[in-house]
Amino acid sequence: MTTMSSNEKSTTRYAVTKADINQINRRSIFGFQLGWNYERMQGSGYLFIMLPVMRRIYGDHTPELKRMMQTENQFFNTSNFLNNLVIGIDLAVQEEEGAAAEDTIIGIKTGLMGPFASVGDAIFGSIVPTIFGALAASMAVTGNPLGIILWTIECVVTFALRWWETGFAYKTGSNLISTMHDKLNAITASASVLGIFMVGSLVASNIGVVFTVNPSVAGASINLQNTLNTVLPGLLPAGIVALIYWGLGRRGMTSTKMIFITLVAAVALSALGIIAKG
Amino acid sequence: MIGALQILLLSLVAAFTVVCGQNWWQTANQPVFVGLAAGVIMGDPATGMFIGGSMQLTVLGIGTFGGSSHIDANTGSIIATAFSVALGMDPSQALAAIAVPVAAILTVVDVLGRFCNTFFQHRIDTMIEREDYAGIERNFLYGIIPWALSRALPTVLALAFGQGVVQSLMDILNGPLAWLGTGLGVAGAVLPAVGFAILLRYLPVRENWHYLVFGFVVTIFFNYLFTNVKSMGTAVAGAVEGFSGNFIGLPMLGIALVGLFLAVSHYKTTSGRTASQDAAQEGDDDDEL
Repeated sequence: MTTMSSNEKSTTRYAVTKADINQINRRSIFGFQLGWNYERMQGSGYLFIMLPVMRRIYGDHTPELKRMMQTENQFFNTSNFLNNLVIGIDLAVQEEEGAAAEDTIIGIKTGLMGPFASVGDAIFGSIVPTIFGALAASMAVTGNPLGIILWTIECVVTFALRWWETGFAYKTGSNLISTMHDKLNAITASASVLGIFMVGSLVASNIGVVFTVNPSVAGASINLQNTLNTVLPGLLPAGIVALIYWGLGRRGMTSTKMIFITLVAAVALSALGIIAKG
Repeated sequence: MIGALQILLLSLVAAFTVVCGQNWWQTANQPVFVGLAAGVIMGDPATGMFIGGSMQLTVLGIGTFGGSSHIDANTGSIIATAFSVALGMDPSQALAAIAVPVAAILTVVDVLGRFCNTFFQHRIDTMIEREDYAGIERNFLYGIIPWALSRALPTVLALAFGQGVVQSLMDILNGPLAWLGTGLGVAGAVLPAVGFAILLRYLPVRENWHYLVFGFVVTIFFNYLFTNVKSMGTAVAGAVEGFSGNFIGLPMLGIALVGLFLAVSHYKTTSGRTASQDAAQEGDDDDEL
C-alpha cells in the first residue's frame, strides 16, 4: 500500500492549512455528537467533521471523494474528548497518501476508537465527574455555587485540550500512540487514586442517614446509632454503599433498577422506624 | 404557579443541556448545573442546587459509557425543581417523588431521540450517492431536532399539565400517607449511595482500596470536628454576648486537595517504572450497568 501511494501522492497532494485544522476543531467540538444514532453512533459526525477538508484534498465530484465519504460515514464511537486525536492522524494520512490509504484509514479508526474510548471514559467520563461533580454537588446542596463555577473552569481547560489535540496528532502522525500510551496509563492510574479517595470522602459526608431504632438487648434498650458512633461514625452509610456495590455485581442488575430498589428499601426502613434523615 | 415564560425558559434549558452539553459545554449536561439554572428561573437557586446537587451525587457513576442510555437526571431535576419551588414541596421529597421517577421514565424519550437520528443517518447515505455536500451537512445538523425535542417536549408537557397531579400527590404525602412522604425524604438522603457504589464498580478499587478507606476516615474525622465545632460556636454565640465565633462547615475543596497530593505522589512513584504492566491490567472490570 505505501509503496503504491507515491504515484497518487503527486496527483492528490493538498497541503493542509491552519484554517483547515481550525475548521475541524469547530465542527468537532460544537457538533460531533449531534447525529448520534444507534446504527453507526458517531459515524455521520465523523464525516461531518472531515467533509470540508476532504473536498479540498480530492476535489468535488471525484470518485475518490465519494468513496472516502462512504468510508468516513461508517460506524465510529469513541470518547468525544479524544476523538480529535484520531481525526488528526487520519488527516495526516489522507493528506500524504490520499484515497489509496483507505484501508489504512479504516485500520486507524477501528483500531484507535476502542482504546481511546476506554481511556477517555475513565478520565473524562468517571474521574473528572467524580472529583468536580463531588465538589460541585456537595457545595450546591448547602447553597454554594462555587463548585459549579470550578467545574465550568475545568470545562474550559478541556475545551482547550480538545482544540490542541487535532494539530498535535496531525503533526505527530501514527507515532502518537506509542509515545502517548505509557504516559496516558500513568495519568489514568494516578487520577483513579484521586477518584477513589474522593468516593471514600463522599461516602463519609454525603449520605445523611442514621439509625433510629433502639433494640433492647437483655432487657436494656440500646441507642444503636450512639453505640456505632463510638466505634466509628459513618458506619451506616459505609454499610449501605457496600450493600449496593454487592447488589450491582448481581446478574441482570442495572443502575436504574438499583436506584429503585434503594428508593423502596429506604422508604420501607423509614416506615418501620429503623432509619431516618440525620 | 409556574408561569408560561418560566415553562418556556425551563424547556429551553432542557434542550440546551443535551444539545450543547454533549458537545462543548460538559457542565451544562450535569444535574447540579441544570438544577441551579432551573432554580434561578424559578426564583429559588438554593432549592434548585439542592435537588440538582443530590441528583448529581445519585448519578455520579453513570456516565455515557458507550453511548448507552441512562436515567435523564437533568430533565428530572428541572421538573422537580420547578414543582418544588412553585408548590412549596420539601426539596428532598421532590427529589425522591418527582426527580427520580421522571428521570427514569424519560430514559425512553432519550432512546427515541437517538433512534430518530438513524433516519437522518440514512438520508446522509443517500446524499453521499447524490454528491450533495450541503445536503450531508444539513441532514447531520437536523440531529439537533430530535435531541432538543426529546428534552423540551416532556418538560413543557409535565409543567403545563402536571401541576394538579403533583399538588394532589403532595396533599396525600403530607396527609394520609405521611409515612410515605417521610420515607421518600429519607430515600432522597440515601440515593447518593447508589452513585458512589456505581463509581466504585468502574474505578480500579481492588488495587487501590486503601485510598478508599483513607478518604473515608479523613472525612469522617474532619466532618465530626467541623460540624461539632460549628454547632458549639452557634450555641456559645447564643449564650455569650460579644462572642463572634463564626465557624464554617467542612470545606470539601480542602479534602479534594489531600486527594490530589496522594494522586501526584502516586504518579511520581509509578511513572518511573515501565507502564507496560499497568497496561496489562486495563479493561478487566467491564461490568455492564
